[in-house]
Amino acid sequence: MEIVVCVKPVPEAETRLRVAGSGRTVDTEGVKFVLAGYDESAVEQALLLKESVPGARVRAISYGPPPRTEEVLRACLALGCDAATWVEGPTDGSGDPVAAARAVAATIRGAPADLVLCGKQAGDDEEGLFASALGELLGAPDFGLVVDLRYDPATGRITFQRPTESGQERWESPLPCVVGLQQAWNDPRTAKLPNILRSRKAPIAKAVGPPEGDAPVGTPVRFELPPPRTGAKMIEYRTPAEAAEKLVQLLREEAKVFP
Amino acid sequence: MSGGVLVVALPAEAPGSAALREAVGVARTLASGRPIEGIALGSAARAQAESLARLGVGRVHLAEEPSWDAAPGGAWAVAIAAAWDRSGAETVVLPGSTTGRELAGRLAARASASAATGVTQVGRSADGLEVRRPVFGGRATETRRLAGPRQVVALRAHAFPPAEEAPVPLAAEAIGPVEVPAAVAAPRRLSVVAAAASTGPGLGDAAIVVSGGRGVRTPENFALVEELAAALGAAVGASRAVTDAGWRPSTFQVGQTGRAVSPQLYIAIGISGAIQHIVGMISSRVIVAINSDATAPIFKVADYGIVGDLFQIVPALTAEVRRVRGLG
Repeated sequence: MEIVVCVKPVPEAETRLRVAGSGRTVDTEGVKFVLAGYDESAVEQALLLKESVPGARVRAISYGPPPRTEEVLRACLALGCDAATWVEGPTDGSGDPVAAARAVAATIRGAPADLVLCGKQAGDDEEGLFASALGELLGAPDFGLVVDLRYDPATGRITFQRPTESGQERWESPLPCVVGLQQAWNDPRTAKLPNILRSRKAPIAKAVGPPEGDAPVGTPVRFELPPPRTGAKMIEYRTPAEAAEKLVQLLREEAKVFP
Repeated sequence: MSGGVLVVALPAEAPGSAALREAVGVARTLASGRPIEGIALGSAARAQAESLARLGVGRVHLAEEPSWDAAPGGAWAVAIAAAWDRSGAETVVLPGSTTGRELAGRLAARASASAATGVTQVGRSADGLEVRRPVFGGRATETRRLAGPRQVVALRAHAFPPAEEAPVPLAAEAIGPVEVPAAVAAPRRLSVVAAAASTGPGLGDAAIVVSGGRGVRTPENFALVEELAAALGAAVGASRAVTDAGWRPSTFQVGQTGRAVSPQLYIAIGISGAIQHIVGMISSRVIVAINSDATAPIFKVADYGIVGDLFQIVPALTAEVRRVRGLG
């Protein structure tokens, strides 16, 4: 079974967000990029399948600018992926998820996959467009929000659950299929030091996406941060009842959020 | 119908639901007088079309076969794209549901359109369609311009006022046979278990969230958090310490590895405020922190703070909330 796991470098959660000089995007100067949270689950799920299905291979693919994209691909190799492909994307952080899907789809068509895994959405742009666009472009079904993914070698099919407005849905799908993962079976593993060292020298294939201008995309116009919070107004009190009374009064009359 | 809009009613959506009315409201803004059409799929399609007509959307493309109810999203996308082609609309508006959001990428790829999800504001400028949306878990917002002659917009739930009624006669039109590629139609829905009737609102769309953390100390004590939430009509959340300890299921977890929430009011009880928790609740409008440690980082992001013993403060707060709300 050929498994592709698509990953995206995003600023680590602790990053203090700043607006870039252009005013259009987040400032990435000095920012540490890591695997997007749900993508970690996708990698974990891919490796679990590799460990349980004889002959399964996992290839990590990432679309983005240097050097961060190469770094997250090395992280995937250190975790146990067999191969990595970097699809070069725009450097100014204006990447559009549907454009990313077009570029990655072109790469996957060159070496078809049975199962494509990715995170259900990335922690930066929060679009959740990539997996479903990729499914359409590969002519495969796609499902997001997936948990409890299992593969049955006897039928060659996967089964999984996903929570939607209708309730907890259980599905069965033949392969190929594109799956946006909410959660893997395990907490994502961490890489061992010798594997991290080895991954630094591992080869990373390079692919070129389709030429720009093929299809319309979304482009960032403005990036805004909320006004900084100035610290809490602390409530002085002598008894718990007084604290409660003062808080409720503030919520009603000042903040106006009391139900 | 340049500038026209197509509104999608999905099978999981109840006819006349808030999500659908919000979508029609957005369609009116975008169409600004140009035609709005609808599409409805599945066994409830006729009822959905009637509710669309009550909201002023008379021309509705219908696929009434009940088989659509359990069809995979990829198949829906083929039907919606067919109706989109026939309508000549410029923009497709998808409701702020998980299924609506998931269809956006598929439709955009199929129709060579640009797309955005989780949208909280829309507007047309001379340069095209502009949308505003929260990013980085609500810690920032971006405005994107969607280029090209066709766009797909999936809304964020509860971000727009629902459209008022403006009834017109229904002019339904069957979509007719839709050719879904075999591979895309192949997945089968084996079962669907309706979400258990919960006693309060869900975390994702609650106006008020009351969360408990490690400071609550035992799973039994978590009842204090739940009683305050019940008095406020709020959803219950928890920090990772609580869900990791198994006091409450992981579905309660607010934070980086749990859910991001942005209610009007967030009350953090016995939560110190690790960054992993903060990123999941920082976009709440008003934040209250109750903690015994005056130096806890949660007070830096809170609007109101009470330093004290939560086992005394929280019951007093619950009693005061009940008194003020007349709940006895």
